[in-house]
Amino acid sequence: MRKLAAMAALAAGMLGAGGAQAQDKLTLQLKWVTQAQFMGYYVAQDKGYYKEVGLDVTIKPGGPDINPSQVIAGGGADVVVDWMPSALATREKGVPLVNIAQPFERSGMMLTCRKDSGITKPVEFKGKTLGVWFAGNEYPFLSWMSKLAFSTSGANPDVKVLKQGFNVDPILQKQAQCISTMTYNEYWQIIDAGLKPDDLLVFKYEDQGVATLEDGLYVLESALKDAKTVDKLARFVKASLKGWDYAVKNPKEAADIVLENDATGAQTEKHQARMAEEIAKLVGKDPKTVGRLDPAAYERTVAVLMAGSSDPVITKKPEGAWTHEVWNKAMGM
Amino acid sequence: MGRALDSLAAALGLAGLAVASGLVTVARLAAEGPGPSTVVPLLITLIAGGSALVRLSSREGWPSRVATPLLFGLILLWGWEVVVAGFQVPRILLPAPSAIGEALARAWPTLAADFWQTFVRSVIPGYAIGSGAGFLVAVAIDRSPFLQRGLLPLGSMISAMPIVGIAPIMVMWFGFDWQSKAAVVVVMTFFPMLVNTLAGLAAAGAMERDLMRSYAASYLQTLVRLRLPNALPFIFNALKLNSTLALIGAIVAEFFGTPIVGMGFRISTEVARMNVDVVWATIALAALAGSASYGLISLVERGTTFWHPSFRK
Repeated sequence: MRKLAAMAALAAGMLGAGGAQAQDKLTLQLKWVTQAQFMGYYVAQDKGYYKEVGLDVTIKPGGPDINPSQVIAGGGADVVVDWMPSALATREKGVPLVNIAQPFERSGMMLTCRKDSGITKPVEFKGKTLGVWFAGNEYPFLSWMSKLAFSTSGANPDVKVLKQGFNVDPILQKQAQCISTMTYNEYWQIIDAGLKPDDLLVFKYEDQGVATLEDGLYVLESALKDAKTVDKLARFVKASLKGWDYAVKNPKEAADIVLENDATGAQTEKHQARMAEEIAKLVGKDPKTVGRLDPAAYERTVAVLMAGSSDPVITKKPEGAWTHEVWNKAMGM
Repeated sequence: MGRALDSLAAALGLAGLAVASGLVTVARLAAEGPGPSTVVPLLITLIAGGSALVRLSSREGWPSRVATPLLFGLILLWGWEVVVAGFQVPRILLPAPSAIGEALARAWPTLAADFWQTFVRSVIPGYAIGSGAGFLVAVAIDRSPFLQRGLLPLGSMISAMPIVGIAPIMVMWFGFDWQSKAAVVVVMTFFPMLVNTLAGLAAAGAMERDLMRSYAASYLQTLVRLRLPNALPFIFNALKLNSTLALIGAIVAEFFGTPIVGMGFRISTEVARMNVDVVWATIALAALAGSASYGLISLVERGTTFWHPSFRK
């Protein structure tokens, strides 16, 4: 009886000691599956940067049917990684997303074409079949086609569009002359499948003047009204940017950390190491401004999205879609 | 006075009152939001509607048979509208029927093109080929015991394959257009037709088969004049089942790669764009198409198998 009482007291004491350091919980929803595209967040978690600032972060990987905007609208996450076109379109539909940080300054999106299709420049897309992902990733493409004055829908479109799945089969099987690829992912899948860089022609969205801002951190507007939440978010941004800084400087180690966190076991070291190096090229280079959304880049993205003549992605200029409040607070810490 | 209240006219009158007060409720909710002014018409709708339903459903005659489901459906739609408006349910979670109707009208050209691509170009050929192949293989199996032991287990294996697994493979084999969707529909409709036709062919009684034998009827004559007519109820069973499976198969197959038209494509892209009212409009169109084809097949069944005991009163 006395032994039982002593053990109970010991257990209670241990629980009490463990509960003393309550860390703030935060859930991050990624845009896609666990891969080096998100290495900054995994590095920050692995190296203890989140713990240092008193955060207990849960990173939820995305996937084919997971739309980050819907997850945050449904209350499944505190912060999401999303692309700006999708976030602005969702904002217009009534889900008030606000950009709090923009680690990626350059776009990695490009259209990869087979040289044997005869295409040498964008005006030659007419009459060809192009593959595009949908689920939020089609907006930059539709804006580009609008800029080239090509119709994509209706009975006789100038350009035939395929909704491609998340693989590169259409270009390998010649079902499409060009497909959408990211510099860091699908392009290398095509190379791994046997085509050589000499067989392919790439059109980078950055070079075509239709690039939009990609991976950024978004929260719901209501989160920014509470000072404690803003403080939590600022700590999160600070630790994440520290993770990105480390990842960009040590891509190989970052790739290894991502692989350790990959629950599916589907990723390979070669692919992730390559992805880490390509992603490092997209992150902001200036340590004094990395993560701070550049208002000029934001305006360029909005202009691209509103330019679609028949079917613009957004119909009016968004108000209050971004804030520097969290980033400024993070830098001041 | 009691007799008058029991009449059809009284029931229809109550139904009309329910519809009118239902419209008033919806209009007041839209104009002023939930509040005291909406309570009275709401109660009138519920009481009059409930009373009308009870009276109509206990009556005989075709006017009551048509009016009961119609009124019930209208009350359900009204209830949906009132709940969404009254509880301010967010539009991206559950749009009201009026929003869905408005989306249907607004996006009609797109939805009509989608319907053409999915239903007319993918479902109908796939349904015809799948059911036809199932029927022919069943007749072949019936004729040859060797095929029965070999093909039947294969048929059951094909039916067990999940469409989300077959669809991407069909897209790789047959391309992005309607052919791959029709192929998925063929795989889905083959086995139900096969199994039901086999059961139907075995349905003719032993006495009747003996009778045909005594008339020196050949295998083909027995098949055409005795066994197939007896198999018709089973075959129509399979045809009705296949009509719903075919629509599901075509829509799901479109999630996996399609030119940018089609009901499955519309659902998957519009849900990602948060245009949930267009998604519901597509769903409504699919439900209408499915019910209409089911009803059509039932009508044909009635005409050809009127002799079956299940149609007796």
